[in-house]
Amino acid sequence: MRTIIGYGNDLRGEDAFGVDVLKNLELENLENTQLLTLFQLTPEILLDLLESDEIVFVDACYSPDYPYALACNLEEQNQNTLSHHISYTMIVKMLNSLYNKYPKYEVFSMLSLEFDEVKDEKKYRQVVKNVSTYLSIA
Amino acid sequence: MKKQKIIIDPVTRIEGHAKITIDLDEKGSVEDARIHVTQFRGFEKICEGRLFTEMPAMTARTCGICPVSHAISSTKACDEILSITPPQAAINLRKIINLAQILQSHALNFYHLSAPDFVYGFDAKKEDRNIFKMMQTHPAMAKDGIGLRAFGQKIIETLGGKRIHPDWIVPGGVSHSLSKEQKESINTQIPQAMDIAKRTLHYFTSNLHKFQREIESFAAFPSLFMSLVDGYGNLEHYDGKLKFIDANGKVLDENINPSEYKNFISEAVEEDSFLKSPYYKPFGYEKGIYRVGALARLNIANGCGTTLADEYFERFKNLNGGKPVLNSFYYHYARLIEIIHAIEKIEILLNDPVTLNENVRAHAQVNSLQGIGCSEAPRGTLFHDYQVSKDGVIEKMNLIIATGNNNLAMNQGVKQVAQEFIDTKNITDGALNRVEAVIRCFDPCLSCSTHALGVVSSKIEIRDHHKKVIDLLSRS
Repeated sequence: MRTIIGYGNDLRGEDAFGVDVLKNLELENLENTQLLTLFQLTPEILLDLLESDEIVFVDACYSPDYPYALACNLEEQNQNTLSHHISYTMIVKMLNSLYNKYPKYEVFSMLSLEFDEVKDEKKYRQVVKNVSTYLSIA
Repeated sequence: MKKQKIIIDPVTRIEGHAKITIDLDEKGSVEDARIHVTQFRGFEKICEGRLFTEMPAMTARTCGICPVSHAISSTKACDEILSITPPQAAINLRKIINLAQILQSHALNFYHLSAPDFVYGFDAKKEDRNIFKMMQTHPAMAKDGIGLRAFGQKIIETLGGKRIHPDWIVPGGVSHSLSKEQKESINTQIPQAMDIAKRTLHYFTSNLHKFQREIESFAAFPSLFMSLVDGYGNLEHYDGKLKFIDANGKVLDENINPSEYKNFISEAVEEDSFLKSPYYKPFGYEKGIYRVGALARLNIANGCGTTLADEYFERFKNLNGGKPVLNSFYYHYARLIEIIHAIEKIEILLNDPVTLNENVRAHAQVNSLQGIGCSEAPRGTLFHDYQVSKDGVIEKMNLIIATGNNNLAMNQGVKQVAQEFIDTKNITDGALNRVEAVIRCFDPCLSCSTHALGVVSSKIEIRDHHKKVIDLLSRS
């Protein structure tokens, strides 16, 4: 089963990117696909991922350069405290080490300069559409 | 030697943003220590001019950890403005989601924030004192933490539609009823959740002997206690009357309608923190220092009112010969008992036939120009006080947040731990960790209590007697 996780705060402008992509995908009735819309990644979602052999993370990523470009941030975060959220790499590591699960994973991050508003509505909607379309046919 | 000051900034493994300052005297001994909450959002002002019906959703945005608690107190305030009592099914459902919230929050504090100190010790390397290290060395325990918190969150999601910020709790009741299938899906998870809860409590009590010095010095002092209790004087998280007791268990005030809270609680403002300092009004500031939360609730209650929790409650009461337990380290113990009570109570409420009734909301117009909602949040007693125009527009709002109630006690606790563990000639990371850990006992939610926004992190500052910072230990 494939799981697509769109995460972000839908009240915070471009931070809603993952949530908006998932809203489009919910209309597609995708086969063998679980859709999860979240504010943030937390350890508890591991229990929803145990049957997944493929996980797709969709989010917005702050970057001062190339707004609305798609990227994949693979930089390992130095994160040894936990309160509100953890990274997708940590989610995958936890699946590996705690549950002996090794799903494939992909990341679709839209680079964004501004999480508190949608700076360019047209460009933003286009990226949402591009990623939604790709994920619905991939 | 000049007076000096130690500053811990930011404080780690708490919900929110804070720093600690430790003042040293001319001999280099700890003279004073304080926690400063350094974030501010001003929800009480933001909400003015908005419709009261928006408050459950808006005030819940104060926090991502305990939004349900805010929604509960907020809707209770709205119910008062409407002058209605929600249908019993709605009350049962609100109680269930409130208990699920308390359960998942307590699990977060124990497993994700505090357990690393219990597993590795307060003097362990700081890079080891975290949940990710526990996943490597204690995977079963880490999975228990994930499982227990997920149980609480699943209930919130099942009832409210979302794990965080559900908008299902509304003025007059809840927005939709519970189906039989949903009820059964929760019921089937209860045995596993209870197994984890019992296992966790056993682990904690079996290891208490290792932490005797911390038990004796982590905010262990006489204070008053406040919480809600039900009509039998038992543990109550949704309704009930306010009760105050002193450190010997003597009842100071009881049967207080929460709408009269201002006759018993005043709020002091400190110049060095955005967190206000409520106190018991009859005793004045600061003699009126009181504690709230799980420890206070168990100290005040006559019992839990559920079978298994009452067994553990009896053992808890024996910690101090039946008198109030004054050691804040035992907040952890009390939270674990509350988890067991929450699971038992959720099962009882789920299986009450009334809970599945489809009539879950009452409707009315504005019938009162003030509404005060009060409930027990994970961290203690929470008040939402709204004053509205005849059109239902918020004119004035006052929030007393659970964590704020504990502000004076947290400060006294930080000072006590600093004096016990800080050797200014050799300031160890273990000592600084204990200064932070005493705050974690209270499980403060600083984002809530200042209605604040910020990155979770912490700092410790050392200052001399002129208040000049001479050392800064950053622990983000």
